[in-house]
Amino acid sequence: MTAVDGAVARAEPADSGWRWLSPRSLVVRPVTDLIRLVPVLAGVLFFGSSHGFGGYWTVVFAGLAILTSIVRWCTTRYRITAERIYLRHGLFSTKVLSVPRDRVRSVDLTAHLVYRLLGLRRVSVGTGRSDRRGGGSLHLDALLLADAEGLRGLLLADVSPVAGALAAAAENGEAGQAGAAAPAAGIELARLRPGWIRFAPFTMTGLVIAGVVLGSTAQIVNDLRVDPANIAPVYHLVVRFDALSAGGRALSGAASVLVLLVLLSVAGYIALFWGFRLVRLGDALRVSRGLLTTRTTTIDIRRLRGAEFSEPLLLRLVGGARCLAITTGLRVGEGAEHGGSLLLPAAPRPVARQVTAAVLATTGRAGGAARQLVTGDLVRHGPAARRRRYVRALAGALVLIAGGGLAWWARVVPAWAFAVMLVLLPLAAALAADRYRSLGHLLSDGWLITRTGSLVRRRCVLSTDGIIGWRIHQSWFQRRQGLVSLAATTAAGHQHYVAHDIPAADAIALASAATTPLMTPFLTSAPATP
Amino acid sequence: MSQAVTPMLPGLRDPANRVSRRAVRYWTARAAVGGLVLAGAEIGLAVGVGFGGWQAVALPVTLLLAIGYTVIMPRWRYRVHRWEVTDEAVYTRAGWISVHWRIAPINRIQTIDSHRSLGERLFGLANVTATTASAEGHVHIHGLDRVTADRLLDELTIATGHTPGDAT
Repeated sequence: MTAVDGAVARAEPADSGWRWLSPRSLVVRPVTDLIRLVPVLAGVLFFGSSHGFGGYWTVVFAGLAILTSIVRWCTTRYRITAERIYLRHGLFSTKVLSVPRDRVRSVDLTAHLVYRLLGLRRVSVGTGRSDRRGGGSLHLDALLLADAEGLRGLLLADVSPVAGALAAAAENGEAGQAGAAAPAAGIELARLRPGWIRFAPFTMTGLVIAGVVLGSTAQIVNDLRVDPANIAPVYHLVVRFDALSAGGRALSGAASVLVLLVLLSVAGYIALFWGFRLVRLGDALRVSRGLLTTRTTTIDIRRLRGAEFSEPLLLRLVGGARCLAITTGLRVGEGAEHGGSLLLPAAPRPVARQVTAAVLATTGRAGGAARQLVTGDLVRHGPAARRRRYVRALAGALVLIAGGGLAWWARVVPAWAFAVMLVLLPLAAALAADRYRSLGHLLSDGWLITRTGSLVRRRCVLSTDGIIGWRIHQSWFQRRQGLVSLAATTAAGHQHYVAHDIPAADAIALASAATTPLMTPFLTSAPATP
Repeated sequence: MSQAVTPMLPGLRDPANRVSRRAVRYWTARAAVGGLVLAGAEIGLAVGVGFGGWQAVALPVTLLLAIGYTVIMPRWRYRVHRWEVTDEAVYTRAGWISVHWRIAPINRIQTIDSHRSLGERLFGLANVTATTASAEGHVHIHGLDRVTADRLLDELTIATGHTPGDAT
């Protein structure tokens, strides 16, 4: 509790209290750069530096970066008053960012390895507006662990007194080790089991990491000015690869890429999600995770508008799923794994269902039916919607095949390549069938459920309280079949949740049942005026 | 009048007001300018490269499509575009081949703004945009005459001023 008391005591003299970031954060940049420079320095030492100036430039830029970070530290202050949080920075033109404390929706603490070695945490204060403009959140980079936790306790006490107190207690017990076996305050909803790592190869994490690794390897090789072919093991590999037949090359190439991707995605899963825990602390959900870089996200339950049960195709094939929060102030979508809205990484489907239901139950609006919201049957969209799935998928495939045929005719590609393209037809049919199987919606007791997608199937459960408008879209083809796509707009998550291709009458009925006062005046069958 | 005809979507009545008649002229002018620019580019290309076989086909086709678009789109669009503002909600219909309906409650509207492009100003038109806390929840009303737009802007600004909270 000392951390919280300390923070409160320092926050109390409200008008004078401009504070500095931790002086230790001055060390972060040089240390990080030094680590990054190791290959270059090694290159300079072992290979000599007569090859060019690349190494020197790297050193110069690192020096500049360090200088900038010192200037930044010297010119940055923050202050917490009873109403607002202020952050002031800038050397020549001082800029003051401020956030009203009652707008604080989430407080994240992140720390990569260097931060952790130095006992520092980066604090991100998220507000409800951060989902639209990057400027909505405020970063303190970085504070001492105790100060950071104290600050979080203080800010979350605004959000929820219980959560604040529990958070502080939990943190003191855990001493900042996310996922350590220390006794947890609050209710644990999920915890990573090592067995879940088997799902890692079926996520896209490997591809992302492969890109990063390739990029940085290329840079290091470039900095070192070594021809990779001159390194003995690489040279032998290349020679052996050259000796293979074309088929052998393709096979061994594909196999090694596959093995590499699997290894990378497993490593990535462990790095991102090691020690993953989802805990309910009073009125807040707390997600903590990470092996090297630790990250703790706190979500105010009153800002939670629902949850998304998400099954990317590969993961679905092996019985896995993920769970994301639909909440105002946190972004969903690309990079959600790295963002704050993730509630459960790739895990067995039953666990994901259970966690999604448990999260929905925390809102207190789901009654006893939370489980039903996640697993219950949905209203299917009917034969016209099914036909549209097939027409669209097959039309897409036919366009590609026609292009292939044209290329064959123009002798750009051989005949067998065109023949291979015909495989697209059954693939498209399978995709259409699966896309139709995914389609569904339901309005159940104040919750709007939509399910859609094949490559990523998402079942989104949105509280009707969170619906702040409707969009109905009808294309020419939809009009001929009496279908519309109905989107509920919301300030949370993806910002809109769509029921694709439902009969027009159903759409109107659904919208007016979900938000009766809003829709009634616009219905034809409405009574004159209530 | 809107009640007399059957609405485009069964069960959902059409918004009460049409947009300004001048909008047809504005859309026509815009489409014509677009078509001319495209045709001009093709002629320029033909002059530069020389008339081949396909340019002789492409130019008439472009002209035909552009003329068709310029004649049909504005009139069709005028029949689709409608709007209505009640005490509780903003309700619009827009589009032509594809049609969008949008409904946003007044108490969830965060900002109201009006933007006039050069073209709209030449035709004495304005549009009004209401944004909500949802990035996907904007409601645009295009092709209003200036007086209506100003009145609407004032009404909505006053109406949204009454709402407490951050409208999420």
